[in-house]
Amino acid sequence: MTPGVVVAILLFGLATVALVLRRDLVFKLLALGMINGSTVLLLVSLPRAHGTTAPIGVGVLPTTAADPFPQAYVLAAIVINFALLALALVFVMLLVERYHTTDARRIERLVREEEER
Amino acid sequence: MWKVIVAPLAAAAFCAVVLLRFGGGGETAAEAVRAIALTEATGAANRVAAVVLDVRLYDTLFELFAFAMAVLGVRLFLRTSRVASAETIAESHVVRRAAQVLLPPALLLGIYLAIFGHLSPGGGFSGGAVAATGLLLVTVALGADALARRFRDCWLERLEGLVLVVILVLVLLPITWAAPVASNALPPGRPGRLPSGGLIPIYSLLISLKVFAGAWAVIHYFVRHRGEV
Repeated sequence: MTPGVVVAILLFGLATVALVLRRDLVFKLLALGMINGSTVLLLVSLPRAHGTTAPIGVGVLPTTAADPFPQAYVLAAIVINFALLALALVFVMLLVERYHTTDARRIERLVREEEER
Repeated sequence: MWKVIVAPLAAAAFCAVVLLRFGGGGETAAEAVRAIALTEATGAANRVAAVVLDVRLYDTLFELFAFAMAVLGVRLFLRTSRVASAETIAESHVVRRAAQVLLPPALLLGIYLAIFGHLSPGGGFSGGAVAATGLLLVTVALGADALARRFRDCWLERLEGLVLVVILVLVLLPITWAAPVASNALPPGRPGRLPSGGLIPIYSLLISLKVFAGAWAVIHYFVRHRGEV
């Protein structure tokens, strides 16, 4: 357990609590971004657990270089996070235009009132 | 209410236990040897780039598709709704001048990251993102109209589609002569030199163009929808 892994786990827990408890949709998206950041930190710091160096450079010895495969997964995490946040922000913008609030509970109440009418 | 607090904490504790039990223990000498053999096989000094753009090229292709789908979704949902009135806020002189000064270095840094992605940390995705950050800076300082004037609307959109088609052809064409991955279409070269790594630098450059155009489209549609940043 390197410090990076510990920080990643703490950040993940904090962001999950924020994602569940905050009622503001924009804050929920920020928490999602934080979860992605903690995942990236975990993927980068896990292969360095044994004091290895970065797997970049010509003269790096095979025994001291970190495994590059987990670091390659970071790219997928970043791209999917970008796609998720961009689309979610669009939906939040459309919701705000219709209901004039970013409060999730208020939007749910307004939707329910509309359905009853 | 206590359930919503306890459940994520329990999940995090479970993750911690799993990591303590299994995390970081799987690295063997064989994997490290395989990692250094990557550089010799592909000619890329950056082994992460060798994995992303050679060993797992098809995975990267589908990541690019995911990116294109996100841009398409933003375009689809924001195009149909209203276009905000183009009223620009007058930013201060310092901000405007700083944006004009900082745009060329941002573009240059993006191109550098893309071209040298197989030698040092960087690559197509980060290079395109850095260049697009320069665009965002200009949008903040000068408004959406200045951006649209600088980069013609239809031109960048066409570039985005064209780059995707070119990458698709480059990746899928070698299947016809039974080569599994296209990076071997060019010789790997000497690791550490600029023209090395076969097709990896070309992929990086194309991906950076695609990310640049896609991020520009996202910024453009958000700004056009709201009328300001």
